[in-house]
Order: sequence, then structure tokens, then C-alpha cells
Amino acid sequence: MSTSLQSGIASFIGQIDGPIASFFTSCVHCGLCADSCLFYTETQNPKYTPIYKLEPLRRVWQQEYTFWGKLMKKAGLSKPVSDEELAEWEPLVYDSCTLCGRCSLACPVGNDIVYMVRKMREGMVASGHAPEGLKGATQRAIELGSPMGVNINTLRAQIKHAEKETGLTVPMDVEGADYMMVLSSAEVAEYNDIIGAVTRIFHQAGVSWTIASDGFEGTNSGIQIGSSDLAAELLGRIVRAAERLKVKYVISPECGHAYTALRWEGPNLIGRPYPFKVIHIIELLDQLRSEGRLKTDSVDETRMTFHDPCQMVRRGGMVEQPRKLLNMVAPNFVEMPDPGLQNWCCGGGGGVSANERAQPLRIKAFNRKKAQLDATDATTIVSACSNCRTMLLDGLEHNHMPHEVVGLTELIAEHLADDKQGSAS
Amino acid sequence: MKEHETLEQRLGEQGVSRRAFLKFCAALATMMALPPSSAGAIAAALSQAKRPSVIWLSFQECTGCTESLTRSHSPTLESLIFDMISLDYHHTLQAASGHAAEQARDEAMKAFYGKYLLLVDGSIPLKDGGVYSTIAGRTNLDMLEEAAKGAAAIVAVGSCAAFGGLPNAQPNPTGAVAVSDIVRDKPIVNISGCPPIPSVITGVLAHYLTFGELPALDELGRPKAFYGETIHDRCYRRPFYDQGKFAKTFDDEGARNGWCLYELGCKGPTTHNACATTKWNGGAGFPIEAGHGCIGCSEPKFWDAGSFYTPLSAPAADVAAVAQVSMIAGAGAAVAMGALDRAKKQKLQQSREKLTVADLKGD
Repeated sequence: MSTSLQSGIASFIGQIDGPIASFFTSCVHCGLCADSCLFYTETQNPKYTPIYKLEPLRRVWQQEYTFWGKLMKKAGLSKPVSDEELAEWEPLVYDSCTLCGRCSLACPVGNDIVYMVRKMREGMVASGHAPEGLKGATQRAIELGSPMGVNINTLRAQIKHAEKETGLTVPMDVEGADYMMVLSSAEVAEYNDIIGAVTRIFHQAGVSWTIASDGFEGTNSGIQIGSSDLAAELLGRIVRAAERLKVKYVISPECGHAYTALRWEGPNLIGRPYPFKVIHIIELLDQLRSEGRLKTDSVDETRMTFHDPCQMVRRGGMVEQPRKLLNMVAPNFVEMPDPGLQNWCCGGGGGVSANERAQPLRIKAFNRKKAQLDATDATTIVSACSNCRTMLLDGLEHNHMPHEVVGLTELIAEHLADDKQGSAS
Repeated sequence: MKEHETLEQRLGEQGVSRRAFLKFCAALATMMALPPSSAGAIAAALSQAKRPSVIWLSFQECTGCTESLTRSHSPTLESLIFDMISLDYHHTLQAASGHAAEQARDEAMKAFYGKYLLLVDGSIPLKDGGVYSTIAGRTNLDMLEEAAKGAAAIVAVGSCAAFGGLPNAQPNPTGAVAVSDIVRDKPIVNISGCPPIPSVITGVLAHYLTFGELPALDELGRPKAFYGETIHDRCYRRPFYDQGKFAKTFDDEGARNGWCLYELGCKGPTTHNACATTKWNGGAGFPIEAGHGCIGCSEPKFWDAGSFYTPLSAPAADVAAVAQVSMIAGAGAAVAMGALDRAKKQKLQQSREKLTVADLKGD
């Protein structure tokens, strides 16, 4: 196939399903979604109203699926969606939407707006209107195995490093293990302490786990650019590795869209149910904690706050788990305003971080996070998404803010009790 | 024909004191929501006014409207209407009959051409040349058209003359219509009700005599002073409605306690009339006080608005069949449109090619 306006419109028509039709029908144009979107609140530009970002999709729905719309189209009274329009909407759909899902929670009639943006991106990419940065990232993910260009050799080097540091073995390609750990690109490339951290935690808790050499990359650029075909191809690698190793669980890394792809879109993308279950690393850690298998023996007195990653809270409902874990190690923990379900996005989710063109807007949108941080006296921000961490660091640097940013799993590992009791690995 | 004397002279002859007359004027002013000072103006105007000639035509009617007026509790203000006017023709009340009666009408019409008031009760049949109601061999339509020409104003007394009333109810075998359906070039006041309240008739005539014009009318041509509010607005049982206390049958505890009759079909909420305030039979009461809901007799088509005992919120007509048909048709149309949409989607999906990484590199 080649990308064209025609394939884009055809894709729109194909993507419009029952939910989308009912959402467009029930929209009462109240505009409440505007105030839930950080791109609107920080710019006050009405074009960033979430439902407006879907205008071309709405017009296609009207012209193709409604009685009067069809009639108007037949009579030549309605303007078809043009290539220029899609080009105009490209920045609205990609640069000013992080798929954070806050608008879906705000909608008084229950329209899942983020679901529609995700679907609209299918048509946008099919029409050739996807941002260059995101195209490049997706291309690298398909061809090299990772949007950041890391490969198995990078991973092996990091594992060797972690083994040396912890004195433990990192299990690779162990058939019949209970859990298969998936990582995100950023974790392999930048935040590689995570490998040592989970090794030590799982060792202490006696968790049977492994990493697959052919399915370790969780980041799914296909979801972000909005192509189910490419997302399925990327996801298929993990599914095949999990099936080869016959694991019972696949662990989603601290990465928002890896989690969404694995946990929520997965079986629909590949068209069949998984023979395994998916669990987020934070969910697993909290489970180990409640079973008494996760023990810490020290605390960090630093004033800490928690940045809820959008996909974790609004998709996965993980509000309590990270707080229970933080309770073990951070006695001076404070909440920022709007914590949990209503937390504001870091500004770089949904592929915005890979889209260089969006950077100025993203930095502007970070003002919302800055205001949240200014309202607390915390000096350390804990999060559980490697993309959030990068975006937080970037935003802090632009605003000359002194905060430290740490990952929750690494933080727990740092305070792990010394009494080693587990032996399985 | 005797020259019309003033009302005061006439009352004096009958031994009505000036005090009684002033009380009557004050009562009229109050009823029509005029300022208290206008009682004097009414008295002055009425006492000086030459009694106007009134021709009263009765068509397809039951004489209930005339009964309402003449049988009202005596002695009342209403009976004074006959002192205020010179009733030159009324085929129920006049002593003359036959040719003499018709001659009286012809003479009054000639003598007071352009000045007489025309009162009409009953509807006018139009079907089959109007043969269903004739007087002295002339159809009602013919007589109305002739009498209307010289009238200063027309008062349609009762729901039949005002809206067609009972004769007009489905299937309307005589083709009955209201006065306003025939006469269009004269001011018409509709005093609806089956029958209308007698003091309303008096009030309208007094207004005409005092101010020389008809009172302010609502969109249905009824005087606002009497038809401005609904029975429900002024009903003494309204507090029970507000509390949600309803009689469910005519002999339950609620009925005995005098609770709201809404659920027993009371049409008070949609009926504009003054029954709840002026009351009937010399102030003895009105239907709701007797324990029966309002039947809405002062509203157009009240006879065709469903059962008197069905609550207002229930549909008047049998909608089950219509609902069924439209449901089936709607569902059918939806299934057909859905199938078309699905076929379109399926066709697109079959011809769809996978997006590959090569497509991202683009042109």
C-alpha cells in the first residue's frame, strides 16, 4: 500500500465503529474537555480543544454514516475532507495530544476522546500525515528492533554490567520461568540501573524470571504513530518470545505505551488471546510487598513526590500500588496537586517525545507540571515510566529547576533489606 | 320601538338602590382586575349609558348558556345584565314567536345598524348547505352572516360558539364550526365554557359599556381578565398537588381528605377559566369542590381530548398501534442502514493493504 488521501479516508471509514458513532452523536459541544487538556490550559488556544482535534474524523463519520450526511454528500452540499485539511490537523493530532486520556475522564457524556484520537491516527498515518520524528522512531523499531536503536548487544553489555555490580546472574532465555521481563528502550540505553534493581528484588523475593533475547523491547512506536499493522508486528516479537519460553506472566516495564500496547491493545492487535498474563512491574512489586516477599531496611528522608504516569493511572487504575511502595521507603512523601487519576501528563507521551517538531509546544505545556511541582516542597520526583522521567528531566532543565528524578523500582531496590532469603533465579 | 332609557332610570324603576348598583360596579371592577378607582368610572358610565340593543342568536346549542345566565342564583349581579341591555331578540326568552319574533330582529338590526351587540350561542353547521339547523326556514349560516354585518361587536357565548364545542366533536356529522370561522371582519370575544360563567358574560358587557371597547383578549380571543390563569393555578387543592398527595379513586382516603384529583383526570392544569375564583351558584363552589376533576370545558376540542378520567400525562389517543408500527419501521430502517454501512466497511477492509515500514519512508 502507499499512503494517500484516499487510503487515509478509507482508513477513517474503517476505523469508525459503534463507540465512535455514539460518541460523536452524544457530544453536546460543552467544551469541558478543553480545560482538561494541558495543551489548551497552557496556551489558551481553542484549537487545542480535544474534540476539535477530531474534526476531520467527525466529518467523515457524518458524511459516511449518518442519514443527513449521506444525503448532503450525494447532493454535493458537504465538502469532502481534503489533503490540506489533514496536513493542517497533523500537528493537532500528534503534537498536541499525548494520549494521556484526561479528556476522556472529563467528558460529562462519557465520550472516550483519547480512544478516538488513537483511531484517528490510523487514518492520519495511512494518508501520509505523520510527523517525521515519529516515522523515524517507528522505522527504527521495525528495522533495528528499538526506536532508540538499542539492540541485543547493547542489552548484553548492560546485563554484564549489572551482573558485575550485583554479583547475581541475570537469567536469559530461561524456558519455563514464571515471569518474562520486558524493558523499554530508555531503560536499556539510559536508565540501565533498572536491570540490576529488578535482579536484586527478584532474587530477594525468590521470583522465577527471565529476559528473552528476542523479545525484550517493550516500547511500541506503532501504537504512538497509530498503525495497528506496525504495532502488531512489534508486539508479535514479545508474544512469540513469551510463547517460546512458556512463561506464565509477561512483566510490562516502567513505560506507559509499552504497558498500553501489552496489556490493553495486545490481543486485539494480534487477533487472538494471550496464553500468558500481563502484569505491570509496579503491580508485581506491590503484590510481592503484600505477600511479605519484598523487604526494605532503610528509608530516604528526602522530600519526595510522585508523578503518576498517565497510562498507569488512567488506563491501568494503578493509584494505590505506587503509594504503598513509596510508603515503605519515603517517610517524607508529599502529594502534588491533582494526584492519581487526575494527574497532568509530563507532556511527552503518545509519541510527542519522539517528535522534534513538537518540542517548543511540549516545553510550554510543561508549565502545568511546573505549577504542580511549585505547589509542593518536594525535591525529588519519583515516577514509574522511563519516558516520563526523560520528559521531566528535560522540562526541569528548561525551567532551571533543581529537582531530582528517580524511578520507583530503582528506589525500592536501593533500600532492599540485606537478608537474602530467596535462592531461585 | 321605544327609545332606550339609561340604566339608572331602569334600575330605579325596579327599586334597585344606588348603593346596590355601586356595589355591583365595584364587584365588576374587582373581577376584571381593574384598579379600585375604576368602580366609580364604571358606575358613571353605566348610569349614563343608553342601554345598547342586543341581538342574541341561538344556533346548534343546548340552551345551557342561556340557562347559566338566567338560572343563576337570584338575585345576583348577573341578572342585572338584562337591565344593562335591551335584549331585542332572543328566541328562548322573548314573548313573541313566529313572524313577530323575526320582525323584532329585523327592526332592531335596521334601527341600530352598526351599533348593536350580537351575542351568539351554539355552533354553526356547514355540511349539506347548513340544513341541520334552521330558524324560520333560514339556515344559521345565513342568519349569522346577515346579523354580523350590522354588529358593532360579536360575543360568542359558550364553547360551541367560541370553538365549535360539542357539535364539532369527532366525527362532527353536521360540519359544525365556530363563529370566528365564519365572521372575520368584526371584533369577536370568545366567552368559552360549557356553560360559561354568568358573571364573565356580565363583566364583558359592562366593560364594553364603560370603555366603549372590548377587553384585552388572549390568543384564543378570550378576555384575559377571566381566562388569564388556569384552574390549577387557583385551585384550593393545589397544595396537595405540590405535596404529591393524590386521590387514586373517587372513594379512597385521598378523595375523602380532599387531595388533588390530577390522577383521576383533572384537566385543571391546562384549562384557562375563572371557576376556581368566581365559582358557581352564587359562590357555592365549583366542580373540584364537589370532588370531580375539571373536564376542561373552556378549552378548544375538550370533548376530543381523551377520557375525562385519564390523567393529563397519559396519551389521549391510543398510541400503541402507531408506536408499534413506527418501532418496526424504525428498526427496519436502522437494520437496513446498518447493513449498508457494514457492507461498505467490509468492502474497504477487504481491499485494504497493510501499512509497512516502507510506507513511512514515503515519497
